[in-house]
Amino acid sequence: MWTAVVLAIATIIQPADTATDRSLQLDEVVVVSGSIQGVKRSVKGQVASIEEHLLELNHTDVVRRGSYAWEPVVNNMQSERVSTTIDGMKIFYACTDKMDPVTSYVESGNLQSISLNSGLNGNPQSTGNIGGSLDLKLRKVGFDNDAFRLNVSAGHEWNGHLQVYGADVALSSHRFYTNFGAFYRHAGNYEAGGGQTVQFSKFGKVNAFTNLGYRLAENHILEGTFIYDRATDVGYPALNMDVYKAEGIISSLSYRWQFSHPFLNSWETKVYYNHITHVMDDTTRPDVEIHMDMPGKSWTTGLYSILRASNGHHNASVNYDIYYNRLFADMTMYPGGAAPMYMVTWPDVGTLNTGLALADQISLAHHQSVGLSAKLAIQSQQLNNYEGYQALKVFFSGMTDAYHQVIGRVAAHYAWSPENWKLTIGTGWGSRAPTVTEAYGYYLNNTFDQYDYIGNPRLKNESAIEVNGGIQWHPLPLLNLQWDANAFFFSNYIIGEFETRLSSMTVGAEGVKVYYNQDHAKIINTSLSADWQPLEWLKWTGQISYALGHDAQGDNLPLISPWAFQSRLDFLFNRFSAQISVKGNARQAHFGHKYGEKETSGYTILNLSAQYNISVQKTLLTLRAGVENLLDKTYSTYSDWNNIPQKGRNVYVNLSVSL
Amino acid sequence: MKKTSTLILLAIALLGLQSCNSNDDDQTASILDGTGITLDGDVDCCSAEEALQVYKFLKTVKIIPELSTEVDGKYNVFAYSKTGKFSVGYNEIYFVAVKKGTGNYVKNFDVTNLSPLMTMTAMNMKHSTPVGSSVDSFNDKYLAVKRGWVSFLMASTDKDFWVLSYDVKVLGHQKTVADASFSVEALPQGQTWLQSFKTGDATYFISLVDPQNYQIGSNSISAYVSKKSNPATQPYVVAEEVFTIEIVPTMPDMGGHSSPGNEALTKQADGTYQGLINLTMTGYWKIDLTVKDKEGNVIAENIHFDVTI
Repeated sequence: MWTAVVLAIATIIQPADTATDRSLQLDEVVVVSGSIQGVKRSVKGQVASIEEHLLELNHTDVVRRGSYAWEPVVNNMQSERVSTTIDGMKIFYACTDKMDPVTSYVESGNLQSISLNSGLNGNPQSTGNIGGSLDLKLRKVGFDNDAFRLNVSAGHEWNGHLQVYGADVALSSHRFYTNFGAFYRHAGNYEAGGGQTVQFSKFGKVNAFTNLGYRLAENHILEGTFIYDRATDVGYPALNMDVYKAEGIISSLSYRWQFSHPFLNSWETKVYYNHITHVMDDTTRPDVEIHMDMPGKSWTTGLYSILRASNGHHNASVNYDIYYNRLFADMTMYPGGAAPMYMVTWPDVGTLNTGLALADQISLAHHQSVGLSAKLAIQSQQLNNYEGYQALKVFFSGMTDAYHQVIGRVAAHYAWSPENWKLTIGTGWGSRAPTVTEAYGYYLNNTFDQYDYIGNPRLKNESAIEVNGGIQWHPLPLLNLQWDANAFFFSNYIIGEFETRLSSMTVGAEGVKVYYNQDHAKIINTSLSADWQPLEWLKWTGQISYALGHDAQGDNLPLISPWAFQSRLDFLFNRFSAQISVKGNARQAHFGHKYGEKETSGYTILNLSAQYNISVQKTLLTLRAGVENLLDKTYSTYSDWNNIPQKGRNVYVNLSVSL
Repeated sequence: MKKTSTLILLAIALLGLQSCNSNDDDQTASILDGTGITLDGDVDCCSAEEALQVYKFLKTVKIIPELSTEVDGKYNVFAYSKTGKFSVGYNEIYFVAVKKGTGNYVKNFDVTNLSPLMTMTAMNMKHSTPVGSSVDSFNDKYLAVKRGWVSFLMASTDKDFWVLSYDVKVLGHQKTVADASFSVEALPQGQTWLQSFKTGDATYFISLVDPQNYQIGSNSISAYVSKKSNPATQPYVVAEEVFTIEIVPTMPDMGGHSSPGNEALTKQADGTYQGLINLTMTGYWKIDLTVKDKEGNVIAENIHFDVTI
């Protein structure tokens, strides 16, 4: 009954592109090169890694297990509570140890931008996005663009000898477009501050992509995407194993009907398929007690269909989506001489999920606006591997091989923008189903707290109520102050708890944890930022943020950011710009001791960067150079897995040419 | 494919019966194709349905020629085991009696006094081994296959050899098989399915039943406890005493990893010990055993089975 009510009253927000319409909950980082002003982008430009781009977003951080494939964290929540989609497509990582967040299966060269919807106000295709939803928007050259364009970029970073090379070609006409290209990245082991080499931190990656668009008729558009991504010999210094191969194939075909109608804008339907193969490797590690093979496989196929409508007051969408995902992982251990030991760690779980999302962004009189969004999804899961199912049954004798969940979210926000001010308040409720690891994972060793984790098929859905608010103030035309905060009050918060009755499997593990629903928990984030451009060529931005997370007993949750700050001066000249920035964290005083987290010391680092643009007719050349961690500090952040050290001084230079 | 051929066999058998019943002079008997069985309505022998059941069962086991015998020139008694071999620990042995000439299975017969004997020439010593109390049918309706078990204490070697004696009575014809030689193989590394313990003057043997059937997950575990005879050359029969055997499966290669929810072996009405064993993965499992008497006193510990699945 409530679902009908929710669906009747609610709708989703289309992130509007004008700055005034943008609520504090929506954020975007632009990946492609170009000279658009007023957007966020990494100082390293296009050759920066996806994660470096991600770090430009508000309330976004990464968990780092090595120098590759960092796990996005939004509002101090990791993959379980954050939805990541690629152009609306669902994709799920294939590694039981989270070595391959889905952002690692694309390259900067594939992307136009990354958009973030903070909290429960998710993008239409997202589900389970309590913390937020990221959508990686693919770079499609589009119709009626330059008939031919060639982009070439190359970069080098001295620390770890990272090399990046990329090239792509774009062809466009009124009827047809295509862009395709390839990217290559390679790095050796990097050095921490003080010159100490961090073993097992190298990686290599190749990526090739193509986008195609064809106009069937004036308003009927067919678009396709294919991405092949392969990372090999990826080191994970924070873990006991490395990766031999992480391979992703991403494909989609969509049909878009654009309307010439007073309020109906377009109707887009996309079908997609993606496949991930992940193979871990411990053969290059010394002192391996027992050699293990741990492959994982994930494939997803799905469809979404979105109808967008707008008029002077409304900007609405209706989205239907359905996907089917299969996750399988197993482990074989080879003790010297004895028989191999085999177990299924993800029991070939098939998840069928279908949902309907509605959103509306309504402009009201007197500079006010209201945004509403809601989604209702139903999900059923089937355990297709008998061996894995029987093994889990040892721990949960009453379990079945099929489970069903109903997941929903609803969010509303209100914004009022009188002159020089903007006030926003928002609230929402949402739930998520347990992940496959949380519900059916089997003896997954977590190197963070040294426990083996067993999933719990009896978990209830986790839900949260979010409240958020923000104030922007322009006391002077070129001074902007902003404060924002959000708070998430969880019910049935899912977290692993020590189970004394079980014995660990991994040699050296502390024990076994089983995922349970904690009655409640809360996570609160707040930040204060300012930017000021006192002179035409000088701009200052500063930000300070704080978060806290408590479990049901009031103890600290793990991986919650301490006080963090950054301050940056931009020197802006015609073709040349330079930045000097200071970044740091305070000591992590409120670390999750109960959850095996260790205290992380504070740090401050200094970065320098500069860009120089030359454009001759249609040729644009951008040269970027910089130094990260200029003072070669040895440090690690609270979200560096097992406190592996960050890079020491790193000098980089890169060049992008667009013809 | 297998199913189809079975169906064809059944069809042929039924056709044969039908022709029998129709008193067709030209065809007083029919042949169960491929088996050499003639179905002639002999009341001592299996019906077509029973014969088919026996035939199907025999496809799952293998003959042991050295333990098979002939009774009065009229019947063949064949002995079988699962693999056609025996190994150290619990083994089932099956018998089938066949009427010579027709080749049909005899409906009912008796095998008694199953007596294995080990001769250790180097030590000039002879001993028997745990043996099931009787050789029985699987159930009342299915009498033509007899099943017994022997749990061998040791493997045959050049100097240590096993013989088996037993009595068989087929439709009033008696035969004693005496000292038939056969061999027992050692189990591979990581498999120990027989353990002994002592209390007072008595020695007991615990025989683990069919651990090769274990899979990942929950498994029922069953065992027999047999008492060493005096003299030791007599078969060791199932002990009358009642024990409780606690089991803790562990993986030494994984730092002693164990599984939860295991249930101790307790004695059942039929003389077996039944419990529950949970195995979280494949590989080598060491099953630690603690034997307690009726009063709950520990009478044996630090003994274990080894099972590799």
